[in-house]
Amino acid sequence: MSAASTSPRGKRLVLWAVVGFDLLILALPTLIVLGASFTAGNIVTFPPDGLSLQWYEKVVGAYELRQAFWRSLWVAVVCTLISLPAGTLAAIALARWRIAFGRSLQVYLLLPFTVPLIASGIGMMLLFGRIGILGQLWPVGLACAVINLPFMIWAVGASVNGLDPDLENAAANCGAPPVQTFLTVTLPAVMPGVITGALLMFVLAFNEFLVSLLLVDARIVTLPVLIYNSIRSVITPDLAAVSVVYIVVAALAIRALDRLVGLDLFLRSK
Amino acid sequence: MPRPSRTAYPLSWRLLDAAEAVVGAMRPKRPEIVVPALFLAPAILLVAVLVWGLAGMVGDSLHVLDTATFLPAAEASLGNYAQLADRPIYATVIRRSLVAGVIVTAATLLLAFPYAYVMVRTSSSGLRRLLLIGLFLPFFIGQVVRAYGWLIILGNKGIVNAAITALGFEPLKLIYTYETILFGLVQYMLPFAVLLIAPAITAISEEMEMAAASLGANWWRGFTTVVLPLARPGLIAAGVVVFTLTLTDFAIPNILGGGTNDFAANAIYDAFFRISDAGLGAALALVLTFIGSTIVGVILAIAGAGTLGLGGRAGK
Repeated sequence: MSAASTSPRGKRLVLWAVVGFDLLILALPTLIVLGASFTAGNIVTFPPDGLSLQWYEKVVGAYELRQAFWRSLWVAVVCTLISLPAGTLAAIALARWRIAFGRSLQVYLLLPFTVPLIASGIGMMLLFGRIGILGQLWPVGLACAVINLPFMIWAVGASVNGLDPDLENAAANCGAPPVQTFLTVTLPAVMPGVITGALLMFVLAFNEFLVSLLLVDARIVTLPVLIYNSIRSVITPDLAAVSVVYIVVAALAIRALDRLVGLDLFLRSK
Repeated sequence: MPRPSRTAYPLSWRLLDAAEAVVGAMRPKRPEIVVPALFLAPAILLVAVLVWGLAGMVGDSLHVLDTATFLPAAEASLGNYAQLADRPIYATVIRRSLVAGVIVTAATLLLAFPYAYVMVRTSSSGLRRLLLIGLFLPFFIGQVVRAYGWLIILGNKGIVNAAITALGFEPLKLIYTYETILFGLVQYMLPFAVLLIAPAITAISEEMEMAAASLGANWWRGFTTVVLPLARPGLIAAGVVVFTLTLTDFAIPNILGGGTNDFAANAIYDAFFRISDAGLGAALALVLTFIGSTIVGVILAIAGAGTLGLGGRAGK
């Protein structure tokens, strides 16, 4: 084995020291929340006061928590339904066709990223108040779709850029008219990006905190806002059990992503 | 010739033929302009919701709070912007946010690059998968739960202080400090940075590194003269994203800072909901937007646009 193909010990040492530290700080909050959710004590302390499932019982029985959970799910569904078609079509248009003012359009479509989230949230809060839809739940989903749209465009754009234009030309050459080509060639080819984007939109909207905080009122709090309001008072183990909902949703999303498109997708360059 | 039986073609074919007929009937004179416009319209309308909201904020920022009636003054003026300039607290808040942006960006890039490098270069697919899951799990869990986890870890009776007191030392004050906010932000930003740097490393041929090694460069020299320069687009993209997200973050300064070290977003929120001065809050939000956009614009102008990856083939 040549020396060039073996990483020097110093290199491996430095790389793994940093990677180990990264993994530690990435994983620690999740592991601690999981652990705290099983404590038998009434407050979160270390070492824990024995093990118990009491906080899960309490959480399942709490009406307000269940309502907040379903509201967050609904917000996530609305966000995904709005942003999936908008982002998919926009990504296909930007990547496939030479568009006048294309550069300006890209800058425009990146506005949700360049505008601070607090400004976006307050701007939409004032707008929704003005037109009288503030205090409902579906505008929260709409707002989440707006602020996360660049993610959807990025996810589908990566797939479109990987698509060989000759495939569409071949279909047309075999006699397929435009709609059939789009539905049977273009759309299936970008489906990995669409799936990735949809999962991202769903999870980001389910987790969305600041925009939800600005747009919901006391009657329709979503789960992140409810957890936030509770954190501001006292840290209790039932919050840990609620937070496990997020860990489960995150784990399910990762599994779906891995099964449907493979996590390696995120390592590919264009 | 008799009409073909209704079952001669599958239903899906007939639906497709109908769709083609409709599209054909509507065929515009210049499809190369109309079709892209139709594809882009939904996204443009979505972002228009944001633009419309921001336009409203511009209007609001021109009306000073009338302390006699606690309603916005009728006449327009630049009084809110003058207040921002006059009151030291706002300069302090913005400076604190900018400094945090620089520190968090530097620390995050330092921690993210080795992670991305190992993730891309490892020959073990199992390890790659583990590193990817280690990245996505916190990313998908979101800010509030992660901040909650840090409160448990770093609190007065948390795991860190439990270990410290077990060793015989006095407990430390670890939450509600600026340093804790910075640490929480670095942890929050790591997934973003790694996901932006990794594709850039993938694009670097491993043979380039081997060539440097065979020409006598040690691993550090090869790293700094070959890998880092070629990964520059990813580093710039990651730096821009981490900086702007840190500059404008609300949740982590609020939860881990406990109101002790407010960032700009916290001050904006307080202006609206604690002192009920919508005009002042709107002005500060617009100033923050301007500062963030200016910094990003300067960086991209120097580094070359297109690093954020939205540039498609048509844009090249």
